[in-house]
Amino acid sequence: MAEKEKKKTPIAGNLIDNAKFLQARIGVGTSFDLGVRKIRVLNREVHIYYCNGLCDTQYIIELLKQIVRVNDDERQESQAWKIIENRLVHQQVSPVMSLDEAVDKLLSGLIIVLVEGESTGFAVDVRSYPGRQPQEPDTEKVVRGARDGYVENIIVNTALTRRRIRDERLRFEMLQVGERSKTDVCIAYIQDIADPGLVELIKKELQQIHVDGLTMGDKTVEEFLVKQGYNPYPLVRYTERPDVAATHLLEGHVLIMVDTSPSVIITPTTFFHHVQHAEEYRQSPGVGTFVRWVRFLGILSSLFLLPLWVLFVLDPSLLPKSWAFIGPNKQTNIPIVVQILLADFGIEFLRMAAIHTPTPLSTAMGLIAAVLIGQIAIDVGLFVPEVILYVAVAAIGSFATPSYELSVANKISRLVLVIFVALFHVPGLVIGTTVYLLWLVSIRSLNTPYLWPFIPFDPAAFMQIIVRRSAAGAKVRPSIVHPQDRQKQPT
Amino acid sequence: MAQQNGTLEQEKTERPMTLVQKTIIIGFVGGVFWSLIGYLAYFFNFSDISPNMILIPWVAGDWKYGKAGNYAAIVLIGILSIGAALLYYALLRNVRGMWAGMVYGAGLWAVVFYLFHPLFFHVQPVAKLDANTVITTLCLYILYGVFVGYSISFEAQEMNQPSASEGKEAAKEGS
Repeated sequence: MAEKEKKKTPIAGNLIDNAKFLQARIGVGTSFDLGVRKIRVLNREVHIYYCNGLCDTQYIIELLKQIVRVNDDERQESQAWKIIENRLVHQQVSPVMSLDEAVDKLLSGLIIVLVEGESTGFAVDVRSYPGRQPQEPDTEKVVRGARDGYVENIIVNTALTRRRIRDERLRFEMLQVGERSKTDVCIAYIQDIADPGLVELIKKELQQIHVDGLTMGDKTVEEFLVKQGYNPYPLVRYTERPDVAATHLLEGHVLIMVDTSPSVIITPTTFFHHVQHAEEYRQSPGVGTFVRWVRFLGILSSLFLLPLWVLFVLDPSLLPKSWAFIGPNKQTNIPIVVQILLADFGIEFLRMAAIHTPTPLSTAMGLIAAVLIGQIAIDVGLFVPEVILYVAVAAIGSFATPSYELSVANKISRLVLVIFVALFHVPGLVIGTTVYLLWLVSIRSLNTPYLWPFIPFDPAAFMQIIVRRSAAGAKVRPSIVHPQDRQKQPT
Repeated sequence: MAQQNGTLEQEKTERPMTLVQKTIIIGFVGGVFWSLIGYLAYFFNFSDISPNMILIPWVAGDWKYGKAGNYAAIVLIGILSIGAALLYYALLRNVRGMWAGMVYGAGLWAVVFYLFHPLFFHVQPVAKLDANTVITTLCLYILYGVFVGYSISFEAQEMNQPSASEGKEAAKEGS
């Protein structure tokens, strides 16, 4: 750090020297989006550097008008610097002491004003980034409730959060990550609730990121933060909803916002954070609880329905007498397991295709998938009808999983279990499930056990998962975030 | 309903439990939950042993073989499991991580199926049980052991940490 301080180039009194430096360093004159406007104020050269497209022309014109008018109104040439500072009519004007600082600010969209004979310039924040307006996020829709969602601009995102928590203790700490991209990363937490140890840990991890750029935004940060390897299970939760983010802030979680990402990272996260949805909290507690149980059923069936059914087909003697109708009636040409895998991969094709198929074509795609493949595969004797039924139920269970990341991870686990069952029958399912559960238990994300509050069991917190508590009834913050203040309501 | 008692729902305070209280709840829930899974495994014929194995030697009457017997046995296992949890609390609560729980579960299985075998005269000795039954029960005991053991160890660890909130509450009480 100290070496870097020394290297800083001071702003020269002679503006031609500055221009040469900027030309060599950032290519003013070579890159078309960097430009300079030269004007004369009180017999001094004034250079205004800007980065096209990142700043708002209207504001710059307004500032220029004011500065040029100085020549008509003022006479004190010795006070030129002070007069110009006064005439930069904008609330965010800060002095710039070195050209390196100027370069950083210029490239993030501020304009730099350099005055002949002065070693201090000005940076004016006239940034206006191209971006969209807050919209309802596609992945977290609710029937009722706020329709705004995070966008790609971190300033808008912090504003959307601040709109919901006016607390003076809410902190947004900004860091820059990425040697070349210099992406803004913001740690959001409430100072007297969040665990200071966790905030420190996250800050340290973020500062240790050495990478040229964070082009994939928060996902890149996550991979540095939780060191997931090839574990498919999501170790942090993403949300695009400011109301969900604000709720988690109040519970004592620490959020990480990354510029250019329309989602924020919630830490620490457990498995059960991925099975909740804002919709449950938009309905009455009873309805919310019902919705949640049905959702759990969906998630469980997305995991265990196919392995169980394959087991019963392979070994019908396991079925209780009253359940004997389960299993294919006809002889089949292809082993059931192969059918299951084929059908499951078929649905996976569809899902992947649906992500990047343009909307006008997706109707046609759905038609082909449903009518042609499903029906005709049965007619030609490729699949037995039951395969389609169970694969479809498992797939719908995946879609009912609120977290997209979790649904894909569950899908992988389900395929592994199906293969285990096909190979080893009952021991395959029992040992497979046991190892799977033990493996989930052993995962720790930012020092948080992944299956908390199921294993390790926390009675009170587990009740909060099973039953959607009323807002008045949920009085205690989850202990897993180690909140400094356990009680939600002020006493 | 809450208003009738003179307190609003939001005005009730929830007291943090002590570790022993938590151990008792963990033990009971663990016993009931995993024996329910065991009953499910019996229903699907993964295992020849159902929870009522613990009732059969002691209770007279045929009801013990039916659903009622199994549900009664599940509750009874829950109560016995409190003892198992307290034993873990006494011996192993300061061991970190989940491995102690796995070993504890496997150990419990060995104790029940070898040491206590004379009590359950209707159950075949382990050597004669079929492989599926052995595997299923052993896996259930291991999961039970992790459930009880890891929960207790984790809570003990959390309580040992001088957390920020405890310091704050102590300061409040002192003033």
